[in-house]
Amino acid sequence: MSAALRVAKDEWRYWLRSKLALAVVGLFVLILLAVSLLNAVRMHEESHQRAHHQTDSEQTFLSQPDRHPHRMVHYGHYVFRAPMPLALFDPGLDSVTGQTMFLEGHRQNSATFSATSGSADLGGLSWLTPAMIFQIFAPLLIIVLGHSAVVREREARTLATLLAQGVSGRALLVGKLLALLLFVALLLLPLIVSAAFSLGRGESLSTASFMVGVYFVYLAVWVGLTLLASALLQQRSSVIASLAAAWLVLTLVLPAVAVNVSSQIAPLAGKIETELTMLTEVRDVGDGHDVDDSVYNNVEASLLEEYGVDRIEDLEINIRGVLAQNAEADLTDTLNVYAERRMNAEAHQAALLGWHGWLTPTLAVADASRALAGTDLAHYHRFLRQAEDLRIGFVQSLNRVHAEELSYIDDINRNRDEESWERARVAATNWQLDEFQFQPASTSTRIANAGSSVSMLLTWLAALIALLLWNGGRLKP
Amino acid sequence: MSRWASFENELRFLLRDRAFVIWIWVVLGFSSFAVWTGLAEVRQQRESIAFLLEADQKDRTSELSKQGDWGSAAYYAFHLTYDPPSDFAFAAMGQRDAASWKHRLRMLALEGQIYEHDPGNPELALIGRFDFAFVVAFVLPLVLAFLLHDLQASERSAGRFNLLIASTGRGRSLWRRRAVLRSGGVLIATIVPLLIAGGVSGTRVATLASATALVVAYVVFWTFICLWFARSKRSAPVILASLIGVWVLLSTVLPAGGRAITDRLVPIPTGAEILMTQREAVNDAWDLPVEDTMAPFVQRHPEWTGYVYSGDGFDWGWYYAFQQVGDQTVEELSSAYTAGRTERDRLAGWISIIAPPALLERLLQQLAGTDMQSVLAYEAQVRAFHAELRTFHYPGLFGGEPFDPAMLSALPQYLPTK
Repeated sequence: MSAALRVAKDEWRYWLRSKLALAVVGLFVLILLAVSLLNAVRMHEESHQRAHHQTDSEQTFLSQPDRHPHRMVHYGHYVFRAPMPLALFDPGLDSVTGQTMFLEGHRQNSATFSATSGSADLGGLSWLTPAMIFQIFAPLLIIVLGHSAVVREREARTLATLLAQGVSGRALLVGKLLALLLFVALLLLPLIVSAAFSLGRGESLSTASFMVGVYFVYLAVWVGLTLLASALLQQRSSVIASLAAAWLVLTLVLPAVAVNVSSQIAPLAGKIETELTMLTEVRDVGDGHDVDDSVYNNVEASLLEEYGVDRIEDLEINIRGVLAQNAEADLTDTLNVYAERRMNAEAHQAALLGWHGWLTPTLAVADASRALAGTDLAHYHRFLRQAEDLRIGFVQSLNRVHAEELSYIDDINRNRDEESWERARVAATNWQLDEFQFQPASTSTRIANAGSSVSMLLTWLAALIALLLWNGGRLKP
Repeated sequence: MSRWASFENELRFLLRDRAFVIWIWVVLGFSSFAVWTGLAEVRQQRESIAFLLEADQKDRTSELSKQGDWGSAAYYAFHLTYDPPSDFAFAAMGQRDAASWKHRLRMLALEGQIYEHDPGNPELALIGRFDFAFVVAFVLPLVLAFLLHDLQASERSAGRFNLLIASTGRGRSLWRRRAVLRSGGVLIATIVPLLIAGGVSGTRVATLASATALVVAYVVFWTFICLWFARSKRSAPVILASLIGVWVLLSTVLPAGGRAITDRLVPIPTGAEILMTQREAVNDAWDLPVEDTMAPFVQRHPEWTGYVYSGDGFDWGWYYAFQQVGDQTVEELSSAYTAGRTERDRLAGWISIIAPPALLERLLQQLAGTDMQSVLAYEAQVRAFHAELRTFHYPGLFGGEPFDPAMLSALPQYLPTK
């Protein structure tokens, strides 16, 4: 063990003398700080802005004057999703998904205005986030620093001396591994700071520590790859060339290739396409605006029977409100079937994409990171579902008010003259709304969601360590 | 040795260089995969449009057959608008993955509809596609760096450097020859799949020629950069690390900085402002006196001054008038949103001059009609079509023209200009 520690210490001494290494690390830290700062400012602004819009929108809804309850159904309401605490580090899908949604009766609108849709277009890699820097660029740092670890000793013929002096091949590799892992730990300091910061914003300690752990494992995978190449190949130049090629393929090529493969194997029908398919079905549900629609004749009959009266005018409640409730419920059932189907198709496609994490640890860490940060597809779908719950909640409460607070006679005569128009209203005290606050999944769910990606990373790491130990046993000068 | 013979000689050497041959095959594979999946994606999008057109027509016909007045006919008839992929879109999908290229609209306030989003899977959009533009802009420079960085350093470390210079006389032409052959090989492996795919997709020759010229210029640019670094007496690993550093700077750091600066310099209204202002205007109109809606409407459309509100309660003319007035209320915000995006794109165009990967991607997207300009052009077409719908319906709604179902066959049809 002491031999390994000595090797590790020597490695560090070597780095500290290398200008290139110091320059590269310095540059990395600089970029990382700049990006983290920019991202933090943007998040802060957006979070502030969305919270402001949310309260604004709630207040406007509640301060609407007395009116016909169905008017409020169409008046609608907005929800905004505030960023998650760890989005500070990994904004994930937030930049490509809409964060604003208009809720109204009879429709499920899409989330609109993603950040990308309005931003300047400067190529695929211009959306730098702190997470992306760790996923794509930190490995480069490890390669630059670590590629020479073994091969340097081999080229300078010091490897033979070391082995002859009784330092075993394994101890040598373990020493170099320790040196690089300590470097990785230092590299993670900015992430640890972000994670600590997110604790103050309500993130749980276990999610935050898991996040740090996942990136540690990911970077350890790169340490393993780097050391393996350094131990196996004969020349420093071929070590760096093959590692750089591996980096290109694993971080840039394969994730994008996986996108093409997934979209070809499991193509998604767009929202309009789904809507058109659904329309035929929705038409069968009937139109809640129209009392004479044959679909509702039996509702009428059963209401008349329940209240023991002969004419709908004699009912204690307004049948139009009841019908609106029924229609909205039926329509929502249909809409939800299609919405769920679409979300499942998306999740299926994403799972297919995630499976490529077996081929490249970069995809695996990106998936795990988003899952932990709560900026993944599952959380986007949670947002859509919670918005829908809010929508159906306020629409049905308005329909209930329509049935119970507005008399049928006033309702059907509302267009007769100005006075009837005034009479067909209910008091503004009936406008009620649940405050919208996006509820992220629990810590355990998020960690479970990251599970399969984490197991891919651990498999990568285990395989590389096994290869290293095997190679250490037969390390030759 | 004649010039040609020395080229031939070098070529023979090169073909025996295993690393070079492997990279050529890899690049050929990347480029072929990119254009092949690009073609498949375009085919999918075309099929999807064909399905939508048919379903949309059916739905509209069935809805219209049930309507008995102009107002309901306009209310229940949706219209598909779309931006079909161009014959070169397979090479650069660009904004088609992020921005909406299809809508279903009706004659209600447009501002509430035009920002509706029909996106693909956000998970896929985030990572981005492996299209030809990506391969050339980001992958190719690195491959060139791998192949060219040790041009001189490898000879130096093998101890052949001085011998080579002495035996060939002029060292510079030797390195140039080697570089031309290597870069030329990469170039051919990149371009051939593109040209074949262009033939399959029926891409215009001019487009293919421009694309080829762009790729050639780009490869020449990176070859020069690589050669400049390769001249250094430093070791191959240091040269390669520096080249990768340049790549990171040009493809990531500068574009990211440029984006941050552009977005800050040119603020645009938030989507929420547009949506909420528009909805407020439309909703408030229900409670306002009819004249409050009709005054700004008639100001815009003096030809309908003669319109008379039919009575208390509900009237279709008034209803559509306040839909339009809703649009008018946010006109300023909405054009600020469009102008802001145009301005951001213009600035990004300038900034991309110092970031060649971004520049190349933008130029290829421009050729493919998948850039921001195309998105804005499509939005303009949607606006124009919506205006046509209004022009078609207004005589019936405001001019008292009697409803005749036969006239609906003359409904405006959306036709993409591309």
